[in-house]
Amino acid sequence: MTTTSTGLSALRTSDTLAADADAVDAAMAASGDAHAFERLYRRHVNRIHTLVRRMLGEEVDDVTQDVLIRAWQKLGSFRGESAFGTWLHRLAVNVILNHRASRSRFRRRFLEEPESGLEAPARSTQPAVQVDFEAAMERLPDGARQIFVLHDVEGYRHEEIAGMLGINAGTSKSQLHYARMALRKHLT
Amino acid sequence: MTHPSSEQLSEYLDGVLDPEAEREVVGHLAGCAECATLLAELRRVLVRAQALEDLPPREDLWPGVAAAIGAAPSRRWRVSVPVPLLLAAGVALMLLSGAAVAIALRQQTPASPVAAQPGSLGQAPAVAASAPDDARGYDAAVRALTRELDQNAGRLDTATVRIVNQKLGMIDRAIAEAELALTADPANNYLHGHLAQTRLRKLDLLRRAAAIGRAVS
Repeated sequence: MTTTSTGLSALRTSDTLAADADAVDAAMAASGDAHAFERLYRRHVNRIHTLVRRMLGEEVDDVTQDVLIRAWQKLGSFRGESAFGTWLHRLAVNVILNHRASRSRFRRRFLEEPESGLEAPARSTQPAVQVDFEAAMERLPDGARQIFVLHDVEGYRHEEIAGMLGINAGTSKSQLHYARMALRKHLT
Repeated sequence: MTHPSSEQLSEYLDGVLDPEAEREVVGHLAGCAECATLLAELRRVLVRAQALEDLPPREDLWPGVAAAIGAAPSRRWRVSVPVPLLLAAGVALMLLSGAAVAIALRQQTPASPVAAQPGSLGQAPAVAASAPDDARGYDAAVRALTRELDQNAGRLDTATVRIVNQKLGMIDRAIAEAELALTADPANNYLHGHLAQTRLRKLDLLRRAAAIGRAVS
């Protein structure tokens, strides 16, 4: 296949078109078009499912479905001021956190000091443990893992995370630091 | 020599240290290999986290979602079709679609279609006249749908109108760019297919937007 430079310019516009398809499908889904909502589902399910898996680690399929069902119910509140993906992601974070908050285990573990699973943070260099990075993330304590996912993977700021979790920004920073110090030993 | 704490290094990595603390860390890092190594490790964690990829669920979750929202589950087939065949099908679909609409309009419209008003909800399409009859059919379909959209625009949510207008503008620009590319490279089959697909996308958008208008009118 050969394309001219002008042809490549057209392709760049097409990339933008694909992203913009979300906005149109969201408007159609808000009017009751389930096929439009299925297109949104196909484009975003991997990201939402992965977010749920990293933050919860259990009941992933059920919570992912819950996120999407709530998205369908709340589509009327999507005004297009942000990208649909951003709106859906924030909704997913809220659903995940509510799911967690409903469990006393989460609250107990979050308020406690970081627990075992990985060594306590230390400056000294330990022998690297050859485990998958994602598996190492799963072994982090709930609080540190969620803050690591929200900050380093998803790009939220400490102030935003503090607001979501009902903690102060300093706690968010120290949990993130714990997670990074623990995970650095698992990079191969 | 007093080392900065590892937490300070982590905050330095994020750029959230206050200016004075940052200057001290920068000065220290210049002469301390141990802290420079630790900082590099923390940076690798951050880079690795940002490079993580999303994975699909093990099984399709749509049937459960569809059942919960009251939608009929879709039937999906896994068919592998070569890209050139897909492009050819796209062109054929466009021609068939245009011809069908043209026939329908001849039966329904006694006078020539009214052109869309520039700057309104639907804007006049940019279509090359490489196949005059089919292009006329496409033009007529676009004009008819645009006219319907204009008539229902007042009933639509303003955010919907804005989104549809943005999308139409982008599609028109893509069509114009593809046509321009074809003037420089008229034998490029990929560009022909791309142009056909983009025109179809415009027609599809207009149909869907018109459907929203009908639903609220």
